[in-house]
Amino acid sequence: MFFKMVFRALTRRKGKHLMTAFTVGLGVSLATAMLGVMFDVGDKVNRELKTYGANLSVIPRGSSVAGEKYEFADEADAEGAAGEEGAIDRSGHAGHAGHSGHSGHSVQDFLSRARIPEDELHKIKMIFWAYNIVDFAPFLSTTVFVGDNPVNLTGTWFDKRMVLPTGDEVETGVLPLKSWWEIRGEAGDDSLPLGVMAGETLARELSLEPGSSLEVSTPAGEKINLTVRGIFRSGGEEDNELLSPMKLAQDISGLGGLVDRVEVSALTTPENDLARRAAKNPGSLSRMEWDTWYCTAYISSIAYQIEEILPGVRVKAVMRVAESEGTILRKTQLMMLLLTLLTLLCSALAISNLVTANIMERSVEIGLMKALGATNLSVSLLILSEMLAAAFLGGAGGYLVGLGLARFIGLTVFGTAVEVKTVVIPLAALMVIFVTFLGSLPALRALLKLKPTEVLHGR
Amino acid sequence: MLFSSLLRRRSRLLVALFGIAIGATVLLGLVTLCYDIPRQLRDEFRSYGANLVFVKSGGTGRMTMGELERARAMLPPEELVGFAPFRYESVRNNMLPYTAAGTDFEAVKKTSPYWRVEGRMPERGEILLGADAAEATGLVPGSAMALDGRNEKQERYEKEFVVSGTVATGGAEDGFLFVNLPDMEEMTGEPDRADLAEASLSADAEKLNFLSRAVKNALPGVDPKPVARVTRSEETVMTKLTSLVYLVTLVVLLLTMICVATTMMTVVLERRREIGLKKALGADNKRVAKEFLAEGLVLGIFGGLLGSFLGLLFSRMVSVSVFGRALAPEPALIPLTVAVSALVTVIACLVPVRRAVDVEPALVLRGE
Repeated sequence: MFFKMVFRALTRRKGKHLMTAFTVGLGVSLATAMLGVMFDVGDKVNRELKTYGANLSVIPRGSSVAGEKYEFADEADAEGAAGEEGAIDRSGHAGHAGHSGHSGHSVQDFLSRARIPEDELHKIKMIFWAYNIVDFAPFLSTTVFVGDNPVNLTGTWFDKRMVLPTGDEVETGVLPLKSWWEIRGEAGDDSLPLGVMAGETLARELSLEPGSSLEVSTPAGEKINLTVRGIFRSGGEEDNELLSPMKLAQDISGLGGLVDRVEVSALTTPENDLARRAAKNPGSLSRMEWDTWYCTAYISSIAYQIEEILPGVRVKAVMRVAESEGTILRKTQLMMLLLTLLTLLCSALAISNLVTANIMERSVEIGLMKALGATNLSVSLLILSEMLAAAFLGGAGGYLVGLGLARFIGLTVFGTAVEVKTVVIPLAALMVIFVTFLGSLPALRALLKLKPTEVLHGR
Repeated sequence: MLFSSLLRRRSRLLVALFGIAIGATVLLGLVTLCYDIPRQLRDEFRSYGANLVFVKSGGTGRMTMGELERARAMLPPEELVGFAPFRYESVRNNMLPYTAAGTDFEAVKKTSPYWRVEGRMPERGEILLGADAAEATGLVPGSAMALDGRNEKQERYEKEFVVSGTVATGGAEDGFLFVNLPDMEEMTGEPDRADLAEASLSADAEKLNFLSRAVKNALPGVDPKPVARVTRSEETVMTKLTSLVYLVTLVVLLLTMICVATTMMTVVLERRREIGLKKALGADNKRVAKEFLAEGLVLGIFGGLLGSFLGLLFSRMVSVSVFGRALAPEPALIPLTVAVSALVTVIACLVPVRRAVDVEPALVLRGE
């Protein structure tokens, strides 16, 4: 009898219930889309922020101090140039590096520094947070001479494929790492050892074009003919350099199988107090805190894990990138969270408002039912289940529309679809029940108070 | 009986008003935020550090402080977040060479908020060590550090500083020593020199290029360079974030307006009896429609006004809790919100009223 009545009411008052279902559907689609985008926005924005470059730099232990000493030992003699050189290094700005500063470098300086073995680098992709390592690229700096002028030649991986012992295939290198570089001509290729890329400033000085060839001589006096495959503009100090496959730089410097430093770009969680304390001294944490820290993708824990797996290295967080990432990520997430909450609140209010309107107009019907002997409870149950049935129908449709909307937003803004997490389904369902129920209550209470005779009598 | 009818009628009005107000709140709140968020976010991006660097044009020699001051004066003050001059000197401590940088630490706090300082920024006579330099020297806050070197005239100078703390950035700064600019001038005996100045502006790449051209033309000795790495990445990310906000706003607005329309439709639809009665008493279709539309218009205006007020609160709340500052309300948006609410309400009334007036009064009055 009860179900029959609900069913009848639904089919007979099709128009009204369709309207309820439609509004609930709109609310739910809004909720689904916003929740979907909200849960995913951190990940998406984090990937976008990767255009700022590496947030971790891996250097051999002890080299940072030694390296700096050697560098400035040369420059201290050339007093005037040193200030200028320091200025350029500091701001990471290109355009003007006086080559005088580099002329003091000799092969002996390079040999005396510690290095990282190239064939161990794949281990970076095997740490606990391997999937958060987006890209990494090793670098080895050497000096070659064009005529009598020294030029920095940096060996790197352009776009290297390798297979890990775990069987996973990894593709990484400087091209994906520095995605903001503007490249004219062709990009470098790791399999062409004599093909190099030239920085824009250097290319202008030496009037290089993509495809032109360049004869350089190594410090040992050997002459090598290089092909310039492309010109890149980085906006950083690299604009003064030649970028070659790793093998070439290793051959020139006589450092087979070794690299100077590695830049790593990792997806990280914004730092909190725990992470800051751990960054200072991981030993100060309690067992529980240590586990939490180690198993969260904080920049300090990723750095720690790389140090663990590659002996003899020091991993530094590049604060400029790491700190800013955290700030912007937190702000964006908070903004989306608030927008989502407020939108949810508004659509909830709109739905309950409609439900109220829907119930208000049924005073005559309720009066009749009560006159026929229905209890308040049964009347309320009947109306509530009617509303809930309509709301769920609308909600299911709205969920599907919301999935589409989230997808559309993701594709338009970030170029990849937003994955709507399954947790959104119970959240949306809960919202429907809660909102419909709450929206119905005030109207129901008002109606139940009415006397059947008065209502049936008319106005 | 009269009371209950009034109550019902009033609550129906309230329901409609409330629905419209919600729509208007979302409309005004989101449009205000939409207008404001890109600007606020751009300020957040300043945490990446300087996006415009001034060096001596020609690549050799140094700038004078006067030149820098004039360059600074050409930057719009409301967009300038910070402006820090730097001067570099090669110095020695215990016969080991270091690069010392003289700067204004108040300005550095603004241009490079990512510096992680242990201890504190140095006062006059104090020195801040880069993390690697601190490790190499083994000095801790409070210890004394003597620097010596030669100035441009090859005269020897010497000065003793007290270590105030260490700074870690993960970049080249880790190997430097930092002192206050006046200390450096005093130490070398050569005032009025700067190698570089960092400016952090909350402006887009186009504006930066424009400013740098203007400064270059006015001051031939200064070469302003936008830091491509920062500006280009900022543009990429900002474009994405802004379009995210716009798109979300568009979707939410569209759905909310439809929601308002359905609520209005429900409210009007249930007054079919009234319409029938009016028609039976001799009112023509046009008159009935006019009456309802006028009612819708009034409701729309009042709902819009109420919503505008709530919307201002809403956007203020988001702005304060996300960016920590209140946004300036855009007064022009209020009449716009009211107009849109009125329009949506009238359109929403139009559909059910049109259907209702076509109905035979007798049929409606008989009930169904």
